[in-house]
Amino acid sequence: MNRAIVLGGGFAGVLAAAVLARHADDVILIETDRYPPGPRPRRGLPQSHHNHVLVTGGARALQALLPGTLEALYARGAHRRGLSGGALILAAQGWFRRIDTEAYLVACSRGLLDQVVRERALGGGAVSVWEGAQALGLVGDATRVTGVRAGRVGGPARTFQADLVVDATGRRSKAPRWLAELGAPDVEEAGVTSGLAYSTRVYQAPPELAGGVPAIMIHPGPAQGRPAQGATLFPIEDDRWVVTLTGTRGGEPPADEQGFTRFARCLRHPIVADLMAAATPLGGVRPYRDTANRRRFYERARLPAGFLATGDAVVAVNPVHSHGMSVAALGALRLDRELTRRGFDPSLTPDLQAAVAAEAETSWRMAVRQDGGHAGGADERREASAFERRIRTRLARAALSSPELAADLFHAQTLIQAEARTDTSSRSRALRGEPDPLLSSPEAIAQFPGLHAWWLSRSIPPVTPVRVPVGGEIPRR
Amino acid sequence: MSLRINDSVVWQETAEGVSLYDIDTGAFTTLNATAARIWMLIDSDGEREPIVSKLSQEFAGGNTAVSRRIRADVQDFLGTMIERKLVEEHPA
Repeated sequence: MNRAIVLGGGFAGVLAAAVLARHADDVILIETDRYPPGPRPRRGLPQSHHNHVLVTGGARALQALLPGTLEALYARGAHRRGLSGGALILAAQGWFRRIDTEAYLVACSRGLLDQVVRERALGGGAVSVWEGAQALGLVGDATRVTGVRAGRVGGPARTFQADLVVDATGRRSKAPRWLAELGAPDVEEAGVTSGLAYSTRVYQAPPELAGGVPAIMIHPGPAQGRPAQGATLFPIEDDRWVVTLTGTRGGEPPADEQGFTRFARCLRHPIVADLMAAATPLGGVRPYRDTANRRRFYERARLPAGFLATGDAVVAVNPVHSHGMSVAALGALRLDRELTRRGFDPSLTPDLQAAVAAEAETSWRMAVRQDGGHAGGADERREASAFERRIRTRLARAALSSPELAADLFHAQTLIQAEARTDTSSRSRALRGEPDPLLSSPEAIAQFPGLHAWWLSRSIPPVTPVRVPVGGEIPRR
Repeated sequence: MSLRINDSVVWQETAEGVSLYDIDTGAFTTLNATAARIWMLIDSDGEREPIVSKLSQEFAGGNTAVSRRIRADVQDFLGTMIERKLVEEHPA
Protein backbone atom coordinates (compact mmCIF):
# COMPACT_ATOMS: atom_id res chain seq x y z
CA MET A 1 0.00 0.00 0.00
CA ASN A 2 1.59 3.27 -1.05
CA ARG A 3 0.36 6.80 -0.60
CA ALA A 4 0.90 10.09 -2.39
CA ILE A 5 -0.05 13.47 -0.95
CA VAL A 6 -0.51 16.47 -3.22
CA LEU A 7 -0.23 19.92 -1.66
CA GLY A 8 -2.36 22.52 -3.43
CA GLY A 9 -5.62 21.85 -5.22
CA GLY A 10 -5.33 24.33 -8.05
CA PHE A 11 -5.07 23.34 -11.70
CA ALA A 12 -1.62 21.74 -11.41
CA GLY A 13 -2.40 19.97 -8.14
CA VAL A 14 -5.67 18.51 -9.36
CA LEU A 15 -4.02 17.16 -12.52
CA ALA A 16 -1.11 15.75 -10.51
CA ALA A 17 -3.55 14.03 -8.14
CA ALA A 18 -5.50 12.58 -11.05
CA VAL A 19 -2.28 11.20 -12.53
CA LEU A 20 -1.05 9.78 -9.24
CA ALA A 21 -4.38 8.04 -8.66
CA ARG A 22 -3.48 5.83 -11.63
CA HIS A 23 -0.21 4.75 -10.06
CA ALA A 24 -0.55 4.92 -6.25
CA ASP A 25 -2.93 3.06 -3.96
CA ASP A 26 -3.98 6.11 -1.98
CA VAL A 27 -3.90 9.76 -3.06
CA ILE A 28 -4.75 12.71 -0.83
CA LEU A 29 -5.15 16.24 -2.11
CA ILE A 30 -4.77 19.02 0.47
CA GLU A 31 -6.27 22.39 -0.44
CA THR A 32 -6.46 25.44 1.81
CA ASP A 33 -9.57 26.84 0.14
CA ARG A 34 -13.08 25.50 -0.09
CA TYR A 35 -13.96 24.90 -3.71
CA PRO A 36 -16.80 27.13 -4.93
CA PRO A 37 -20.01 25.30 -5.82
CA GLY A 38 -20.06 26.64 -9.38
CA PRO A 39 -17.72 28.02 -12.02
CA ARG A 40 -16.68 30.95 -9.88
CA PRO A 41 -13.33 32.44 -8.85
CA ARG A 42 -11.70 30.83 -5.84
CA ARG A 43 -10.86 32.98 -2.84
CA GLY A 44 -7.25 31.88 -2.65
CA LEU A 45 -6.64 32.43 -6.34
CA PRO A 46 -6.74 36.20 -6.88
CA GLN A 47 -5.62 35.88 -10.47
CA SER A 48 -8.70 33.81 -11.28
CA HIS A 49 -10.54 37.04 -12.13
CA HIS A 50 -8.11 37.63 -14.98
CA ASN A 51 -8.02 35.98 -18.35
CA HIS A 52 -6.80 32.41 -18.55
CA VAL A 53 -6.43 30.56 -21.79
CA LEU A 54 -5.16 27.14 -22.69
CA VAL A 55 -2.83 27.12 -25.66
CA THR A 56 -2.67 24.25 -28.11
CA GLY A 57 0.08 22.25 -26.40
CA GLY A 58 -1.66 22.47 -23.05
CA ALA A 59 -5.10 21.79 -24.50
CA ARG A 60 -3.82 18.65 -26.19
CA ALA A 61 -2.12 17.51 -23.00
CA LEU A 62 -5.29 18.10 -20.98
CA GLN A 63 -7.31 16.15 -23.52
CA ALA A 64 -4.82 13.28 -23.39
CA LEU A 65 -4.96 13.23 -19.58
CA LEU A 66 -8.70 13.63 -19.25
CA PRO A 67 -10.35 12.75 -22.58
CA GLY A 68 -13.46 14.73 -23.32
CA THR A 69 -12.46 17.74 -21.25
CA LEU A 70 -12.27 20.11 -24.19
CA GLU A 71 -15.69 19.00 -25.42
CA ALA A 72 -17.06 19.56 -21.92
CA LEU A 73 -15.56 23.05 -21.86
CA TYR A 74 -16.99 23.94 -25.26
CA ALA A 75 -20.39 22.59 -24.18
CA ARG A 76 -20.27 24.92 -21.19
CA GLY A 77 -19.44 27.94 -23.33
CA ALA A 78 -15.66 28.00 -23.72
CA HIS A 79 -14.44 29.32 -27.07
CA ARG A 80 -11.77 27.99 -29.34
CA ARG A 81 -10.04 30.60 -31.46
CA GLY A 82 -7.50 29.74 -34.13
CA LEU A 83 -4.27 31.65 -34.45
CA SER A 84 -4.54 33.66 -36.51
CA GLY A 85 -7.67 32.31 -38.20
CA GLY A 86 -9.92 33.21 -35.29
CA ALA A 87 -8.04 36.17 -33.95
CA LEU A 88 -7.77 39.82 -34.90
CA ILE A 89 -4.17 40.63 -34.05
CA LEU A 90 -2.35 43.92 -34.39
CA ALA A 91 1.29 42.96 -33.92
CA ALA A 92 4.16 45.41 -33.72
CA GLN A 93 4.62 45.29 -37.50
CA GLY A 94 0.95 45.39 -38.49
CA TRP A 95 -2.27 43.40 -38.67
CA PHE A 96 -2.19 39.65 -39.16
CA ARG A 97 -4.10 38.11 -42.01
CA ARG A 98 -6.39 35.21 -41.10
CA ILE A 99 -4.28 32.07 -41.46
CA ASP A 100 -5.05 28.54 -40.34
CA THR A 101 -1.93 27.33 -38.56
CA GLU A 102 -3.48 24.56 -36.40
CA ALA A 103 -2.47 26.63 -33.37
CA TYR A 104 -5.32 27.82 -31.21
CA LEU A 105 -6.32 28.93 -27.77
CA VAL A 106 -9.23 27.94 -25.57
CA ALA A 107 -10.79 30.84 -23.69
CA CYS A 108 -13.14 30.63 -20.74
CA SER A 109 -13.20 31.85 -17.17
CA ARG A 110 -10.71 30.31 -14.80
CA GLY A 111 -13.63 29.30 -12.59
CA LEU A 112 -15.22 27.26 -15.38
CA LEU A 113 -11.97 25.64 -16.39
CA ASP A 114 -11.14 24.65 -12.82
CA GLN A 115 -14.60 23.29 -12.17
CA VAL A 116 -14.74 21.19 -15.35
CA VAL A 117 -11.25 19.83 -14.73
CA ARG A 118 -12.02 19.09 -11.06
CA GLU A 119 -15.19 17.24 -12.01
CA ARG A 120 -13.38 15.07 -14.48
CA ALA A 121 -10.16 14.60 -12.51
CA LEU A 122 -11.57 14.05 -9.05
CA GLY A 123 -15.11 12.91 -9.78
CA GLY A 124 -14.25 9.22 -9.78
CA GLY A 125 -13.46 9.25 -6.08
CA ALA A 126 -9.95 7.87 -6.46
CA VAL A 127 -8.54 10.98 -4.77
CA SER A 128 -9.37 12.01 -1.20
CA VAL A 129 -9.78 15.78 -1.20
CA TRP A 130 -9.24 17.70 2.02
CA GLU A 131 -10.61 21.17 1.57
CA GLY A 132 -9.94 23.80 4.20
CA ALA A 133 -6.72 22.09 5.21
CA GLN A 134 -3.17 23.24 4.92
CA ALA A 135 0.29 21.76 5.00
CA LEU A 136 2.64 23.21 7.58
CA GLY A 137 5.83 21.37 6.75
CA LEU A 138 7.48 18.25 5.42
CA VAL A 139 8.44 15.19 7.49
CA GLY A 140 11.59 13.16 6.95
CA ASP A 141 15.26 13.98 6.64
CA ALA A 142 17.77 15.15 4.07
CA THR A 143 17.59 11.86 2.22
CA ARG A 144 13.91 11.02 2.29
CA VAL A 145 10.61 12.85 2.66
CA THR A 146 8.22 10.55 4.48
CA GLY A 147 5.15 12.72 4.87
CA VAL A 148 3.69 16.08 5.73
CA ARG A 149 2.45 17.93 8.77
CA ALA A 150 -1.02 19.22 8.01
CA GLY A 151 -4.28 20.10 9.62
CA ARG A 152 -7.47 22.05 9.29
CA VAL A 153 -6.84 25.76 8.76
CA GLY A 154 -6.40 27.20 12.25
CA GLY A 155 -6.49 23.75 13.84
CA PRO A 156 -3.82 21.45 15.25
CA ALA A 157 -1.39 19.77 12.86
CA ARG A 158 -0.92 16.01 12.51
CA THR A 159 1.67 14.02 10.67
CA PHE A 160 0.53 12.11 7.62
CA GLN A 161 2.87 9.50 6.22
CA ALA A 162 3.38 9.40 2.47
CA ASP A 163 5.69 7.70 0.01
CA LEU A 164 5.53 10.71 -2.29
CA VAL A 165 4.74 14.36 -1.52
CA VAL A 166 3.99 16.61 -4.48
CA ASP A 167 4.16 20.37 -4.03
CA ALA A 168 1.69 22.17 -6.27
CA THR A 169 1.16 25.24 -4.10
CA GLY A 170 2.16 27.69 -6.78
CA ARG A 171 4.32 30.79 -6.88
CA ARG A 172 4.27 31.29 -3.13
CA SER A 173 5.31 27.74 -2.29
CA LYS A 174 7.05 27.29 1.05
CA ALA A 175 8.64 24.01 0.00
CA PRO A 176 12.21 25.37 -0.33
CA ARG A 177 12.10 26.45 3.32
CA TRP A 178 10.51 23.17 4.42
CA LEU A 179 13.19 21.20 2.58
CA ALA A 180 15.90 23.30 4.22
CA GLU A 181 14.40 22.49 7.61
CA LEU A 182 14.99 18.81 6.81
CA GLY A 183 18.63 19.55 6.06
CA ALA A 184 18.28 19.49 2.28
CA PRO A 185 20.43 21.88 0.22
CA ASP A 186 19.10 25.22 -0.95
CA VAL A 187 17.06 25.24 -4.12
CA GLU A 188 18.51 27.59 -6.71
CA GLU A 189 16.03 30.21 -7.80
CA ALA A 190 15.93 32.62 -10.73
CA GLY A 191 13.67 35.59 -11.19
CA VAL A 192 13.21 37.93 -14.11
CA THR A 193 11.00 40.93 -13.56
CA SER A 194 8.76 41.53 -16.51
CA GLY A 195 7.93 45.10 -15.51
CA LEU A 196 4.45 44.38 -16.77
CA ALA A 197 1.24 45.28 -15.02
CA TYR A 198 -2.24 44.48 -16.13
CA SER A 199 -5.81 45.35 -15.34
CA THR A 200 -8.83 43.28 -16.21
CA ARG A 201 -12.55 43.83 -16.49
CA VAL A 202 -15.29 41.45 -17.55
CA TYR A 203 -18.11 42.61 -19.83
CA GLN A 204 -21.44 41.28 -21.02
CA ALA A 205 -21.33 41.26 -24.81
CA PRO A 206 -24.02 43.21 -26.66
CA PRO A 207 -26.64 40.90 -28.23
CA GLU A 208 -25.57 41.69 -31.79
CA LEU A 209 -22.08 40.41 -31.05
CA ALA A 210 -23.02 37.60 -28.69
CA GLY A 211 -22.67 35.09 -31.50
CA GLY A 212 -18.94 35.40 -31.25
CA VAL A 213 -16.16 37.83 -31.81
CA PRO A 214 -12.62 36.83 -32.67
CA ALA A 215 -10.01 36.90 -29.96
CA ILE A 216 -8.54 40.38 -30.20
CA MET A 217 -4.96 41.26 -29.41
CA ILE A 218 -3.47 44.74 -29.69
CA HIS A 219 0.28 44.41 -29.17
CA PRO A 220 2.61 47.23 -28.27
CA GLY A 221 4.10 49.09 -31.20
CA PRO A 222 7.76 48.96 -32.22
CA ALA A 223 8.67 52.27 -30.54
CA GLN A 224 11.84 51.93 -28.44
CA GLY A 225 12.20 53.53 -25.04
CA ARG A 226 8.52 54.04 -24.40
CA PRO A 227 6.24 51.93 -22.20
CA ALA A 228 4.80 48.98 -24.09
CA GLN A 229 1.02 49.04 -23.90
CA GLY A 230 -1.48 46.58 -25.26
CA ALA A 231 -4.82 44.88 -24.81
CA THR A 232 -6.58 41.58 -25.29
CA LEU A 233 -10.24 40.74 -25.52
CA PHE A 234 -11.23 37.10 -25.25
CA PRO A 235 -14.78 35.78 -25.50
CA ILE A 236 -15.67 33.50 -22.59
CA GLU A 237 -18.77 31.58 -21.54
CA ASP A 238 -22.18 33.19 -21.06
CA ASP A 239 -21.60 35.73 -23.83
CA ARG A 240 -19.03 37.58 -21.78
CA TRP A 241 -15.73 39.14 -22.71
CA VAL A 242 -12.68 39.40 -20.55
CA VAL A 243 -10.67 42.51 -21.42
CA THR A 244 -7.11 42.82 -20.18
CA LEU A 245 -4.99 45.94 -20.61
CA THR A 246 -1.24 45.66 -20.19
CA GLY A 247 1.53 48.17 -19.74
CA THR A 248 5.16 48.24 -18.72
CA ARG A 249 6.79 50.63 -16.23
CA GLY A 250 5.57 54.16 -16.60
CA GLY A 251 2.65 53.01 -18.71
CA GLU A 252 0.73 50.74 -16.37
CA PRO A 253 -2.99 50.42 -17.00
CA PRO A 254 -5.11 52.16 -14.37
CA ALA A 255 -7.39 50.26 -12.03
CA ASP A 256 -10.15 52.87 -12.02
CA GLU A 257 -13.02 52.75 -14.49
CA GLN A 258 -12.39 56.03 -16.29
CA GLY A 259 -8.67 55.44 -16.51
CA PHE A 260 -9.24 51.92 -17.80
CA THR A 261 -11.49 53.21 -20.57
CA ARG A 262 -9.14 56.05 -21.45
CA PHE A 263 -6.15 53.69 -21.61
CA ALA A 264 -7.95 51.39 -24.06
CA ARG A 265 -8.95 54.37 -26.20
CA CYS A 266 -5.34 55.53 -26.51
CA LEU A 267 -3.91 52.25 -27.79
CA ARG A 268 -2.65 51.86 -31.34
CA HIS A 269 -6.15 50.96 -32.45
CA PRO A 270 -9.37 51.60 -30.53
CA ILE A 271 -11.23 48.42 -31.49
CA VAL A 272 -11.08 47.09 -27.92
CA ALA A 273 -12.27 50.44 -26.56
CA ASP A 274 -15.08 50.47 -29.14
CA LEU A 275 -16.21 47.01 -28.07
CA MET A 276 -15.98 47.94 -24.38
CA ALA A 277 -18.18 50.96 -25.04
CA ALA A 278 -20.82 48.75 -26.61
CA ALA A 279 -20.75 46.17 -23.81
CA THR A 280 -21.97 46.18 -20.22
CA PRO A 281 -19.33 46.03 -17.49
CA LEU A 282 -19.74 43.22 -14.98
CA GLY A 283 -17.96 44.27 -11.81
CA GLY A 284 -15.01 46.55 -11.40
CA VAL A 285 -11.50 46.76 -12.78
CA ARG A 286 -9.04 44.37 -11.17
CA PRO A 287 -5.31 45.11 -11.28
CA TYR A 288 -2.62 42.46 -11.19
CA ARG A 289 1.05 43.10 -10.67
CA ASP A 290 2.66 39.77 -9.73
CA THR A 291 3.98 39.14 -13.22
CA ALA A 292 7.63 38.30 -12.59
CA ASN A 293 9.05 35.16 -14.19
CA ARG A 294 10.23 32.85 -11.42
CA ARG A 295 11.86 29.45 -11.52
CA ARG A 296 13.03 27.08 -8.83
CA PHE A 297 15.64 24.68 -10.14
CA TYR A 298 14.63 21.68 -8.04
CA GLU A 299 16.15 19.41 -10.65
CA ARG A 300 19.62 20.85 -9.96
CA ALA A 301 19.51 20.22 -6.20
CA ARG A 302 20.25 16.95 -4.44
CA LEU A 303 16.86 16.72 -2.81
CA PRO A 304 15.38 14.03 -0.58
CA ALA A 305 13.69 11.16 -2.37
CA GLY A 306 9.92 11.19 -2.15
CA PHE A 307 9.51 14.88 -2.95
CA LEU A 308 8.39 16.38 -6.23
CA ALA A 309 7.32 19.91 -7.21
CA THR A 310 5.13 20.81 -10.16
CA GLY A 311 3.22 23.67 -11.76
CA ASP A 312 3.91 27.27 -10.79
CA ALA A 313 5.86 26.06 -7.76
CA VAL A 314 8.57 25.13 -10.28
CA VAL A 315 8.19 27.58 -13.15
CA ALA A 316 5.85 30.56 -13.13
CA VAL A 317 6.15 32.78 -16.17
CA ASN A 318 4.70 36.20 -16.81
CA PRO A 319 0.96 35.52 -17.25
CA VAL A 320 0.90 37.58 -20.43
CA HIS A 321 2.37 34.54 -22.18
CA SER A 322 -0.69 32.45 -21.22
CA HIS A 323 1.48 29.41 -20.53
CA GLY A 324 0.87 28.63 -16.86
CA MET A 325 -1.98 26.15 -17.13
CA SER A 326 -0.67 24.66 -20.34
CA VAL A 327 2.75 23.97 -18.84
CA ALA A 328 1.03 22.41 -15.83
CA ALA A 329 -0.96 20.11 -18.13
CA LEU A 330 2.15 19.19 -20.10
CA GLY A 331 3.99 18.46 -16.84
CA ALA A 332 1.17 16.25 -15.59
CA LEU A 333 1.07 14.33 -18.85
CA ARG A 334 4.82 13.81 -18.68
CA LEU A 335 4.53 12.67 -15.06
CA ASP A 336 1.93 10.13 -16.10
CA ARG A 337 4.16 8.79 -18.86
CA GLU A 338 7.20 8.60 -16.58
CA LEU A 339 5.26 6.76 -13.87
CA THR A 340 3.84 4.37 -16.45
CA ARG A 341 7.32 3.66 -17.76
CA ARG A 342 9.19 3.53 -14.45
CA GLY A 343 6.51 2.52 -11.98
CA PHE A 344 5.64 4.24 -8.70
CA ASP A 345 9.06 4.39 -7.07
CA PRO A 346 9.74 7.36 -4.76
CA SER A 347 13.49 6.87 -5.14
CA LEU A 348 13.10 8.02 -8.75
CA THR A 349 11.83 11.47 -7.87
CA PRO A 350 15.00 13.21 -9.15
CA ASP A 351 14.26 11.76 -12.58
CA LEU A 352 10.61 12.72 -12.33
CA GLN A 353 11.59 16.23 -11.28
CA ALA A 354 13.92 16.56 -14.25
CA ALA A 355 11.15 15.38 -16.57
CA VAL A 356 8.63 17.87 -15.16
CA ALA A 357 11.20 20.68 -15.42
CA ALA A 358 11.94 19.75 -19.02
CA GLU A 359 8.30 20.29 -19.94
CA ALA A 360 8.55 23.86 -18.64
CA GLU A 361 11.86 24.65 -20.30
CA THR A 362 10.49 26.01 -23.59
CA SER A 363 8.04 28.30 -21.86
CA TRP A 364 10.65 29.54 -19.40
CA ARG A 365 13.19 30.35 -22.08
CA MET A 366 10.65 32.05 -24.29
CA ALA A 367 9.30 34.16 -21.45
CA VAL A 368 12.59 35.35 -20.03
CA ARG A 369 13.98 36.04 -23.48
CA GLN A 370 11.04 38.29 -24.26
CA ASP A 371 11.20 39.93 -20.86
CA GLY A 372 14.88 40.70 -21.20
CA GLY A 373 16.38 38.26 -18.72
CA HIS A 374 18.67 35.27 -18.56
CA ALA A 375 17.27 31.77 -18.85
CA GLY A 376 19.80 30.43 -16.38
CA GLY A 377 21.59 28.30 -18.91
CA ALA A 378 24.75 28.61 -20.93
CA ASP A 379 23.34 30.84 -23.65
CA GLU A 380 23.27 34.09 -21.73
CA ARG A 381 21.33 36.83 -23.41
CA ARG A 382 23.16 39.57 -25.25
CA GLU A 383 21.86 42.74 -26.78
CA ALA A 384 20.60 42.24 -30.32
CA SER A 385 22.54 44.12 -32.96
CA ALA A 386 20.88 46.48 -35.40
CA PHE A 387 21.34 43.80 -38.08
CA GLU A 388 19.57 41.22 -35.92
CA ARG A 389 16.74 43.59 -35.17
CA ARG A 390 16.33 44.32 -38.87
CA ILE A 391 16.22 40.62 -39.76
CA ARG A 392 13.77 39.85 -36.98
CA THR A 393 11.60 42.78 -38.00
CA ARG A 394 11.51 41.57 -41.59
CA LEU A 395 10.61 38.04 -40.51
CA ALA A 396 7.96 39.32 -38.12
CA ARG A 397 6.51 41.50 -40.86
CA ALA A 398 6.46 38.55 -43.26
CA ALA A 399 4.75 36.35 -40.65
CA LEU A 400 1.71 38.62 -40.86
CA SER A 401 0.83 37.05 -44.19
CA SER A 402 3.04 33.96 -44.63
CA PRO A 403 1.33 30.69 -43.63
CA GLU A 404 4.70 29.03 -42.96
CA LEU A 405 6.16 31.81 -40.85
CA ALA A 406 2.89 32.37 -39.01
CA ALA A 407 2.80 28.65 -38.23
CA ASP A 408 6.35 28.81 -36.88
CA LEU A 409 5.43 31.72 -34.66
CA PHE A 410 2.14 30.42 -33.32
CA HIS A 411 3.34 26.85 -32.91
CA ALA A 412 6.10 28.14 -30.67
CA GLN A 413 3.78 30.44 -28.76
CA THR A 414 1.24 27.69 -28.17
CA LEU A 415 3.81 25.10 -27.09
CA ILE A 416 3.22 22.67 -29.92
CA GLN A 417 6.12 20.32 -29.80
CA ALA A 418 6.23 19.42 -33.47
CA GLU A 419 9.23 20.92 -35.19
CA ALA A 420 7.77 23.51 -37.53
CA ARG A 421 10.88 25.13 -38.91
CA THR A 422 11.30 22.95 -41.94
CA ASP A 423 10.54 25.32 -44.77
CA THR A 424 13.40 27.75 -45.09
CA SER A 425 12.26 29.04 -48.47
CA SER A 426 9.61 31.18 -46.81
CA ARG A 427 12.25 32.85 -44.66
CA SER A 428 14.40 33.39 -47.69
CA ARG A 429 11.51 35.02 -49.54
CA ALA A 430 10.77 37.17 -46.51
CA LEU A 431 14.31 38.51 -46.41
CA ARG A 432 14.98 38.88 -50.12
CA GLY A 433 11.61 39.63 -51.68
CA GLU A 434 9.23 42.51 -51.41
CA PRO A 435 6.97 42.16 -48.38
CA ASP A 436 3.24 41.68 -48.87
CA PRO A 437 1.31 44.90 -48.43
CA LEU A 438 0.14 45.59 -44.91
CA LEU A 439 -3.55 45.39 -44.16
CA SER A 440 -5.20 48.64 -43.25
CA SER A 441 -7.30 48.58 -40.09
CA PRO A 442 -10.60 48.39 -42.04
CA GLU A 443 -9.18 45.57 -44.14
CA ALA A 444 -8.07 43.71 -41.04
CA ILE A 445 -11.45 44.06 -39.35
CA ALA A 446 -13.23 43.15 -42.59
CA GLN A 447 -11.67 39.72 -42.31
CA PHE A 448 -14.32 39.04 -39.65
CA PRO A 449 -17.66 39.81 -41.30
CA GLY A 450 -19.78 39.88 -38.13
CA LEU A 451 -17.42 42.21 -36.34
CA HIS A 452 -16.98 44.30 -39.46
CA ALA A 453 -20.72 44.76 -39.96
CA TRP A 454 -21.07 45.90 -36.36
CA TRP A 455 -18.06 48.19 -36.66
CA LEU A 456 -19.45 49.88 -39.79
CA SER A 457 -22.89 50.26 -38.24
CA ARG A 458 -21.70 52.37 -35.37
CA SER A 459 -22.41 56.08 -35.41
CA ILE A 460 -18.78 56.83 -34.59
CA PRO A 461 -16.77 57.50 -37.78
CA PRO A 462 -14.06 54.94 -38.49
CA VAL A 463 -10.59 55.89 -37.38
CA THR A 464 -7.76 56.67 -39.74
CA PRO A 465 -6.31 53.44 -41.12
CA VAL A 466 -3.21 52.22 -39.33
CA ARG A 467 -0.39 51.06 -41.55
CA VAL A 468 2.70 50.54 -39.51
CA PRO A 469 5.84 51.33 -41.48
CA VAL A 470 8.65 48.88 -41.02
CA GLY A 471 12.09 50.38 -41.15
CA GLY A 472 15.35 48.82 -42.21
CA GLU A 473 16.96 48.38 -45.55
CA ILE A 474 17.10 44.98 -47.16
CA PRO A 475 20.32 43.20 -46.25
CA ARG A 476 22.68 42.09 -48.97
CA ARG A 477 22.15 38.83 -50.80
CA MET B 1 38.52 24.82 -55.84
CA SER B 2 36.26 27.84 -55.64
CA LEU B 3 34.68 29.33 -52.58
CA ARG B 4 31.18 30.68 -52.49
CA ILE B 5 29.01 32.14 -49.78
CA ASN B 6 26.08 29.83 -49.23
CA ASP B 7 22.77 30.98 -50.67
CA SER B 8 21.20 30.49 -47.26
CA VAL B 9 23.28 33.29 -45.76
CA VAL B 10 22.03 36.86 -45.53
CA TRP B 11 24.83 39.20 -44.58
CA GLN B 12 25.73 42.81 -44.23
CA GLU B 13 28.82 44.89 -43.53
CA THR B 14 28.55 46.76 -40.29
CA ALA B 15 30.75 49.18 -38.37
CA GLU B 16 32.10 46.24 -36.35
CA GLY B 17 32.70 43.83 -39.22
CA VAL B 18 30.15 41.61 -40.92
CA SER B 19 26.86 40.29 -39.55
CA LEU B 20 25.48 37.02 -40.87
CA TYR B 21 22.10 35.35 -40.64
CA ASP B 22 21.80 31.71 -41.65
CA ILE B 23 18.30 31.16 -42.97
CA ASP B 24 18.63 27.38 -42.59
CA THR B 25 19.46 27.42 -38.90
CA GLY B 26 18.15 30.80 -37.80
CA ALA B 27 21.56 31.54 -36.27
CA PHE B 28 23.18 34.96 -36.20
CA THR B 29 26.96 35.33 -36.40
CA THR B 30 29.10 38.43 -36.09
CA LEU B 31 32.54 38.50 -37.68
CA ASN B 32 35.18 40.83 -36.29
CA ALA B 33 37.14 43.14 -38.57
CA THR B 34 39.78 40.55 -39.50
CA ALA B 35 37.30 37.77 -40.20
CA ALA B 36 35.13 40.27 -42.04
CA ARG B 37 38.05 41.08 -44.37
CA ILE B 38 38.41 37.38 -45.24
CA TRP B 39 34.66 37.16 -45.74
CA MET B 40 34.73 40.07 -48.18
CA LEU B 41 37.55 38.40 -50.09
CA ILE B 42 35.55 35.18 -50.29
CA ASP B 43 32.79 37.23 -51.86
CA SER B 44 35.06 39.08 -54.30
CA ASP B 45 37.82 36.56 -55.10
CA GLY B 46 36.29 33.19 -54.30
CA GLU B 47 39.51 31.18 -54.03
CA ARG B 48 41.91 30.35 -51.22
CA GLU B 49 45.19 31.46 -52.78
CA PRO B 50 44.14 34.99 -53.81
CA ILE B 51 42.68 35.50 -50.34
CA VAL B 52 45.91 34.46 -48.62
CA SER B 53 47.98 36.44 -51.08
CA LYS B 54 46.02 39.68 -50.63
CA LEU B 55 46.01 39.41 -46.85
CA SER B 56 49.76 38.73 -46.84
CA GLN B 57 50.35 41.81 -48.97
CA GLU B 58 48.23 43.88 -46.65
CA PHE B 59 49.54 42.66 -43.30
CA ALA B 60 52.77 40.62 -43.59
CA GLY B 61 55.03 43.24 -45.15
CA GLY B 62 57.30 40.51 -46.55
CA ASN B 63 57.67 38.74 -43.25
CA THR B 64 57.41 35.02 -44.07
CA ALA B 65 56.55 34.03 -40.52
CA VAL B 66 53.61 36.39 -40.53
CA SER B 67 52.59 35.13 -43.95
CA ARG B 68 52.61 31.55 -42.66
CA ARG B 69 50.47 32.63 -39.75
CA ILE B 70 48.04 34.40 -42.07
CA ARG B 71 47.79 31.30 -44.26
CA ALA B 72 47.05 29.12 -41.23
CA ASP B 73 44.47 31.55 -39.87
CA VAL B 74 42.70 31.80 -43.23
CA GLN B 75 42.59 28.00 -43.56
CA ASP B 76 41.18 27.71 -40.03
CA PHE B 77 38.56 30.33 -40.70
CA LEU B 78 37.52 28.80 -44.01
CA GLY B 79 37.35 25.38 -42.40
CA THR B 80 35.00 26.71 -39.75
CA MET B 81 32.81 28.53 -42.26
CA ILE B 82 32.60 25.46 -44.51
CA GLU B 83 31.84 23.22 -41.53
CA ARG B 84 29.02 25.54 -40.51
CA LYS B 85 27.80 25.54 -44.12
CA LEU B 86 28.09 29.31 -44.36
CA VAL B 87 30.59 28.89 -47.19
CA GLU B 88 30.67 26.22 -49.90
CA GLU B 89 33.76 24.99 -51.72
CA HIS B 90 33.41 23.43 -55.15
CA PRO B 91 35.79 22.26 -57.88
CA ALA B 92 36.67 25.24 -60.03
